[in-house]
Amino acid sequence: MEPETSLQPLKDIVPAAQNNINAKFILLDKGRVTLEGQYKTCLALVADETAAVHFQLWGDECDVFEPGDIIILTSGIFSYSRNNLVLRAGKRGKAQKVGEFTLAFVETPNLSEIRWAPDPNDPKKYVQQAVVSPHSRIFVPPR
Amino acid sequence: MVEKLIKRSIHEAENPIEITLREAFCVLEPKLRPPFPLTIPTQEGYSNLNRAILYGILCEPHLAKVHVKHLHGIITDGYEYFTSILVKIVIELYGKLVDSVKRQLIWVTHELVDVSAVGYDGLLVALLRQIVGGDFGEENLWLCFEMVNLFSSKWVCLLEEVPLVLSGALYVFLRLLADHCRVMNIPKIESLRQMEIAFCVRLLREKFSLCLRIGRDLVRLLQDLVHVPEFRSIWKDLLYNPSAFKVDGFVDISQIYGTRTSRWYFLLRITPEMESQLRFLLTCVKFGSQKRYQVWFARKFLAVPERTSVVIDIVRFICCAHHPSNEIINSDIIPRWAVIGWLLKYDMKHYVEANLKLALFYDWIFFDEKVDNIMNIEPAVLLMVHSIPRYIDITHSLLEFLFILLDNYDVERKEIVSRGISTALHTLIRKGVVQSLDVITSCDMLSPIFKERLGKLLSDWQFQHRQEFQTTNIPRDGIPSFSSSLESQTSA
Repeated sequence: MEPETSLQPLKDIVPAAQNNINAKFILLDKGRVTLEGQYKTCLALVADETAAVHFQLWGDECDVFEPGDIIILTSGIFSYSRNNLVLRAGKRGKAQKVGEFTLAFVETPNLSEIRWAPDPNDPKKYVQQAVVSPHSRIFVPPR
Repeated sequence: MVEKLIKRSIHEAENPIEITLREAFCVLEPKLRPPFPLTIPTQEGYSNLNRAILYGILCEPHLAKVHVKHLHGIITDGYEYFTSILVKIVIELYGKLVDSVKRQLIWVTHELVDVSAVGYDGLLVALLRQIVGGDFGEENLWLCFEMVNLFSSKWVCLLEEVPLVLSGALYVFLRLLADHCRVMNIPKIESLRQMEIAFCVRLLREKFSLCLRIGRDLVRLLQDLVHVPEFRSIWKDLLYNPSAFKVDGFVDISQIYGTRTSRWYFLLRITPEMESQLRFLLTCVKFGSQKRYQVWFARKFLAVPERTSVVIDIVRFICCAHHPSNEIINSDIIPRWAVIGWLLKYDMKHYVEANLKLALFYDWIFFDEKVDNIMNIEPAVLLMVHSIPRYIDITHSLLEFLFILLDNYDVERKEIVSRGISTALHTLIRKGVVQSLDVITSCDMLSPIFKERLGKLLSDWQFQHRQEFQTTNIPRDGIPSFSSSLESQTSA
């Protein structure tokens, strides 16, 4: 039995070139599916009780996950992908559906709508510098 | 090759129940063939053996009889543990079960009824709840058929051992018939309908005292079937010849009105998944943040036009089976009236909308403070009040419906309905649910006729109330109350 990896609240994730994000969140919205080479990809909005972030679905993930799905991400990566700051499973991570509906969420702050800059004390790390938008500009909260 | 229990994609996490069952099966598989070991297992060993046999019964249909014989031989707890896992599987996994597993589930349920397994009543209720209202797909109609078949074929022992579950089955099949009798062109529905009608009519004619346990919602369900020939004579007897039912003390339909329906019945027409989503919405979602949840709920449960009739059952559930605590009521969580208002705006057929409003007001029309709960009538008044002025059409349509009920629900017993509605209004004001009805009676946008009638209802009640203090203690309508003995049997 694998030891249970502890889950981070989304508000605590930081961009990094590492597969170190383990989180549980709910899928709020899904965008259009496009092709990147031969692979399907699609941007989505996910959130937990602490924050929201853009999630990049890849391949079969585009078809299988639907708004309302509660997902556990293990060994995910939060980094820039073609100028978008997105959370994704990546090659080494895994996103799995564990339920539906029963998770509270907030749409503000959205960590993908934050301008990050290298930490002056440790250039390998990023820190929040400014808020570009309080919520997703792509998946605007419904009225 | 071990067969699977549930349909699962690689993007779904494995289910913990399935894992424990499969693991027990894998470990114990060699011991599941005769000759069966005669050693008495430890508590843990016993649980594992139960799980392994259960997995075998569900996933190895060709060996099911061997497994069940083994089960009968090792049982020391009246099948209680075995049945409890089955109930969990039904509640949490039914929708994902592989088809052959569903067949096995029904088969083993028959077996458990035959041995009077401890907890089998809970299993029958769990299965009834998986029948989806308004779903005319083959799988759902199959489940419907299997359940009515089970209840019909095991009639004698169910009547003796779990009569309350039989009354629950009546509630379910009367409700389903309202949908089944309105649909045409579905193959196999005719024979299913006949079975459902036969079951319901038999219970009504032979065991009416059991049917009375349902309480006033029995009338609500029956009136939706008035157009069905087999129920017409039941209606006639109910209204004009109550002694035909041969129940001592039952002399008038108004006695049924006076019995509040226990909240347990309203859960029967909501699947556990729907229940959990509705309770989450009403407990954890802030007012103003409900939009996305509503979209998901509607897409999952209300997308197909025929399935919108379930909103009637959802409203009954919200009013009677989900009573938020004072803490929640005083918080910023979305209130019940707002959820009902959202459902009311949904696109639905006229008769569904009328039944939804009836479901909303049903406990108003016979409201009696000694028997009824103010929480059942609170959402309707708050919806009327809070819809002013932005959704005035809702206030108008609800008021209009209330007066239609007052005038037409039971023309020969109009005083009962009138008293019920006035008592409901007065209780809501007296207990502070609303300060007064001035916001309605002084609203320019509402019809003067409604406002006048509302005012008159309130003042008439006060006049009558004063009079009743002056007369001696005469039982209401001269008819002995049926409520107290039935209430104690069906606890809310």
